[in-house]
Amino acid sequence: MVWTRPRDPEPFPARLHRRRIYVLPTGFGLFYAAALLTMLLGALNYNNNPALLLGLLLGGAGMASLIAAQMQLSELEIIAAEAEPVSAGAALTVRVHARAAPGRARRGLRLDDDGLFDADAAVLNLEQGAGQAQLQLPTLQRGWFDLPRLRLSTTRPLGLARAWAYVWPETPLLVYPTPEPHGPPLPTGRGDRVQARLNPAGDDVHHLRAYRAGDPRRAIAWKPSARRDALIVREFEQPMGAEIVLDWHSAGGVPYEARISRLARWVDEAEREGRRYQLRLPGQPAIGPDRGPQHRHTCLRALALMPHG
Amino acid sequence: MASAALALKPHHRAWALLAAAVCLLPLLLQLPLTLALSIGGCALAIAVLSHRQPMPGALRLLIALGLIALVLMLSRFSIGRDTGCALLAAMLAVKPSETFTVRDARSLLAFALFAPFATFLLDQGPLSLLLGLVGALLVLATLQYLAEIESGDLQPVPARQRLWSIARLLAIGLPLALAAFWLFPRLGAPLWGIPDRALARTGLTDRMSPGDWVDLMGDDRPALRARFFGATPRPQQMYWRGPVLWDFDGRTWTQPNWHPDIPETPVVPARDRWDYEIELEPTDRTQLVALDLPVSAPDGSRMEPDHNLQTFRPLNGLTRWRMQSAPPAQYQPRLPRDVRQYALQLPQGFNPRTLALARQWRQEAGPFDDEAIVRRSLDWIRRDFSYTLETPLLGRHSVDEFLFDRKAGFCEHFSSSFVVLMRAAGIPARVVTGYTGGYRNRIGDYWLVRRSDAHAWAEVWLRGRGWSRVDPTAAVAPERVFDTLQTQETAPDGLLASFGGATSLSDVGDWLRRGWNDFVLGFDARRQQQLLRPFGIERIDDRTLVLLLALAAALGLLWMVWLSRRNEREADPVLRAWHRLSRRYRRFGLEREPFEPPSTWVERIAAARPDLAADLRMLSQRFSDWRYADGEPGGRSARALTMALRAHRPPATSPGERR
Repeated sequence: MVWTRPRDPEPFPARLHRRRIYVLPTGFGLFYAAALLTMLLGALNYNNNPALLLGLLLGGAGMASLIAAQMQLSELEIIAAEAEPVSAGAALTVRVHARAAPGRARRGLRLDDDGLFDADAAVLNLEQGAGQAQLQLPTLQRGWFDLPRLRLSTTRPLGLARAWAYVWPETPLLVYPTPEPHGPPLPTGRGDRVQARLNPAGDDVHHLRAYRAGDPRRAIAWKPSARRDALIVREFEQPMGAEIVLDWHSAGGVPYEARISRLARWVDEAEREGRRYQLRLPGQPAIGPDRGPQHRHTCLRALALMPHG
Repeated sequence: MASAALALKPHHRAWALLAAAVCLLPLLLQLPLTLALSIGGCALAIAVLSHRQPMPGALRLLIALGLIALVLMLSRFSIGRDTGCALLAAMLAVKPSETFTVRDARSLLAFALFAPFATFLLDQGPLSLLLGLVGALLVLATLQYLAEIESGDLQPVPARQRLWSIARLLAIGLPLALAAFWLFPRLGAPLWGIPDRALARTGLTDRMSPGDWVDLMGDDRPALRARFFGATPRPQQMYWRGPVLWDFDGRTWTQPNWHPDIPETPVVPARDRWDYEIELEPTDRTQLVALDLPVSAPDGSRMEPDHNLQTFRPLNGLTRWRMQSAPPAQYQPRLPRDVRQYALQLPQGFNPRTLALARQWRQEAGPFDDEAIVRRSLDWIRRDFSYTLETPLLGRHSVDEFLFDRKAGFCEHFSSSFVVLMRAAGIPARVVTGYTGGYRNRIGDYWLVRRSDAHAWAEVWLRGRGWSRVDPTAAVAPERVFDTLQTQETAPDGLLASFGGATSLSDVGDWLRRGWNDFVLGFDARRQQQLLRPFGIERIDDRTLVLLLALAAALGLLWMVWLSRRNEREADPVLRAWHRLSRRYRRFGLEREPFEPPSTWVERIAAARPDLAADLRMLSQRFSDWRYADGEPGGRSARALTMALRAHRPPATSPGERR
């Protein structure tokens, strides 16, 4: 089936068939055409062949640029769109991957969201037949984020015509709940196993060590660093409770969405403190106890996919 | 659109200004020097002054108004084609002061394209054409640059590559442009009139003041080219007749305004007859020249009673005229009384010495022997006068001064004084201006007449013969009148021999120029209708033409699409062969993915279809070695590898799949 624009999300890879590509002159293209028409009319009137030839040459180049604009998009394949999950309210960085047979220059293609979110357009350059563009899309609520119809457009080579095509990725992307900005501390851990963890946010100075990339700035011990002529970082330790249970029912008498936010914050906090935690949500088996990025994602995913109340 | 407000960086702006400047240049070259210098200077000053920040709006307006006033003043408030062009140039000069965004730059460039267009209306010489073309190329390249900025891809592209891709676009558009050029229906008559040039150029005019042709005599540009069918006139017969001047006010000769009802002047032609076609360079006037005397007026022109041809439309483009001429045996043998009176008029109170001399000669010759007076004056001129272009301005009694004091001058002085002398002696006489001689281009077998061949001679009315040509300049300096012919006569014969000298190089140049004229400049509605003559179709009507155009345009577009679809060819033959090889596996669904290294690809094939992988593994190894291990790409090993890659065909799995 050949359609001009996707009316529904489509599976990837999506090939930009030439019938999916629209080409229309830009405002400047119309101006250029009007200027050329004036010139041609004058040249015909005065039977001035050099002027006529010049006008026609410019017109021919303009036509060729229309075709060239289409060729920039034609037979381009959008392979995938993916994004690291973010919390609702933050911008989702959607990476769109494209490829095409090498040989034709495809540079400076603009990728945008068809005006839905008014996000800034991303630039897609294909090197060696492949390339990716990062599109920042704002997110509003947790749960599945359906990618909007994306528009891939270009005004190159001359800016006289805009060629564009729509791609509607089927890939749903996940948006985590927004963590509560201020709220009660983590529930106290159960059990009496206490362990000390290195924690830069702690209070007790443990020892000094050499700076490693990624260490927070405020952990740098400036005075010892100055003495040794190298950056020295303080390591702290903090007493840790045993594993904690983040229970839907014990999250306090707050409304539904606020409770999800609070749990999301607790998950992040527990992860940051390096503690084992378990998430209990109504109507589904408990998750964990465990720790680590994988566990965190599982928990946040479960929270994100809680039915909207 | 938000992107249109993109600000220009200085080097983007520099590109836009450069493109506009190159477009403006040929136009400036066509304008009078003071005008061109002041507009060019303003453009430069504005470009420099507005380099960092936009000029205030009021200042811009002031500069624009000032320039307009300056243009109008310098062109003495006469509105014409060149004044219009100067105004366009002035506007273009002011435009950079407000060019700071991509959008501004684009409008500047679109306006700049009008400059070559305007130039071509004034001049179609090779320099204008070349500069115009270069300007247009630069404009397109800058547009491309601006589109790159707009797309947000700021990777630097070498200027050469940018120009190259523009040339590619032009080449792709060329077939369509050419088809449209030859097939787009031409207008037989213009929809609206063409304004004349406000400031006259030197050339054959309808007036002549002795001394004012000096510029013209040094102008080597072509005036016309002629091709003869059949008999060619002898050099002494090559008088190209232009304006015939009757009225003299003591200083200037002018052409009379003939009443349209005046009957045709009777001419008895001699036996000679010349059939020829002239190709007239644009003059912006309605004066046509023809060999003495034209038999009839060609279409689009009319003949004045004194046999000078006037066209109905100004000759502001290259035109061709098919004509016939014959030297007269008897030209108006009976002169009507009023014409006779007219041809004897002299201004009152000028040149007393000349008048006295003429009266004396008339007394000595008797009332009827006009020819004796003519002979006597020619003898006198031949004996006592000399030819020179170095002539001071003459005073009130210009003819007296020339005949009795200076005794040196050029054709204007000779013809003017001769006619005054004749009229004073009672012989009807008039001044004829035009060209003499011509240079035969052996390569193209045509005659070239330059503007420097402009000439003025006299016609006197003699009983029994009518108007007769008398050339007093030829009496003094025949080589001056026929010089171009003499150089031609001494040149060696034969095409090969003529390639040796410098003159023949200019021959080739002029021949090429004529070819361009023939092919492009002189193409008009009439020639368009004869386009299919080689195929036996005499005339194309407009409907057929439109059909042909539509067909050619469709073909042209298809061709453009085909050309554009072709990918840019991989420059390296080994890589090209390798890519082609991987495409051969497409039919098995095993084409190499762009990101796949050769070894991975081969292993994938080996896993999926062990039967196919046999010698591909060896080839891909060789390819990897060449690409990543071999120290010297190219050379013998590369050629051998290319051959091997080309020769490889994936084995067919079943006989049906064999290609």
